[in-house]
Amino acid sequence: MMDELELLKKDWQSKEEHLPKLSYEDIYTMLWKKSSSIVKWILIISILEIILPHLLYLIPSMKEGIHFYEEVGVTPYFFGLSIFYYLGVAFFVFQFYKNYKEISVLDDAKSLMRKIIKTRKTVKYYVFFSLSVCLVMFMISAFFIYFNDDFLLSFQGVAEQAKEVTIDKIRTIAMWTMLIGGIIITGILGGIYFLLYGLLLRKLNYNYHELKKLEV
Amino acid sequence: MNKELEHQFVTELENNQNIVHKVCTLYTNDRDSHNDLFQEITIQLWKAYPKFRGDSKFSTWMYRVALNTAITLYRKSKKRIKTQDYESVIFKIKAEEYDPTEEQQLKLMYKAVKQLGDIDKALVFLYLEDKDYREISETLGISEVNARVKMNRIKNKLRTILNP
Repeated sequence: MMDELELLKKDWQSKEEHLPKLSYEDIYTMLWKKSSSIVKWILIISILEIILPHLLYLIPSMKEGIHFYEEVGVTPYFFGLSIFYYLGVAFFVFQFYKNYKEISVLDDAKSLMRKIIKTRKTVKYYVFFSLSVCLVMFMISAFFIYFNDDFLLSFQGVAEQAKEVTIDKIRTIAMWTMLIGGIIITGILGGIYFLLYGLLLRKLNYNYHELKKLEV
Repeated sequence: MNKELEHQFVTELENNQNIVHKVCTLYTNDRDSHNDLFQEITIQLWKAYPKFRGDSKFSTWMYRVALNTAITLYRKSKKRIKTQDYESVIFKIKAEEYDPTEEQQLKLMYKAVKQLGDIDKALVFLYLEDKDYREISETLGISEVNARVKMNRIKNKLRTILNP
């Protein structure tokens, strides 16, 4: 049986004249176009992920919220958590930068994919970390609601409500709302994130596994 | 970036643009995507050009960057209109040189290759470009033995596509 691929090779190599031809000017203008590579997308999304949570502080009601937390004595806990959080962020930004710099289109296909996946993993761990901190904040709030009635009563409208229903009931409801709300919000944020990266890197993950499969 | 470097790069790419067009032909299905991928490969080549020191041939270096872009970096554009005349231009078979059965077989072969996965396509492409297994393995980052094994599997796969 004649090797079909040899036949194809002969034909393939004789076809060059049918290929499109771009002029010097065509190519020259392309040099200044913006890249839309996957690496660039990872960078943009990562920067957004790091910056966006901090923009929340610019919203007036958030500022009030922080002020309110200061008054009721939660601040030391949140302050400690913030230091821990920013150390974490600094660590992840450094790791991300280091991995990102290593990505080179001049690598072989497999190394290139491996490095992109490694960079993305840094972002993944960062998101896990951020979501955990977010969850812990909700838990601290829930804890304070349960053990500190001053804190609970300082919420808007709670004092009036307390005249009608017992404070015990309000306390329990508020604590569970805080806990379940925290879990739901964390879950939604996590879901959006994984969907985003899942779609972005589906092709890459598939091809990387194709190459890795060869080694078994 | 200085003017001289720009000029040098564009000239080299202009002379070797066939390689990029061939990669685009294999990895896209319509003219818009073809041009889109060509542009992304050009950008990636240009970004990496200062690191190209000439210790390998410009064309060899291009294969790597072009395939890496097509397989890994390129995000498919949303336009998916399949223009009928496109494939017939690229894979046009000069009827006078081939007998009808061979022509038919080639058409089926090209179609079969287009159906392969991204990695398989890269292997077939390098093979069609007459690259040896050492170069194929270095471009993809797999061992030479695995490149051979994979190539044999692809040949079998193509055979089953052709003779179902």
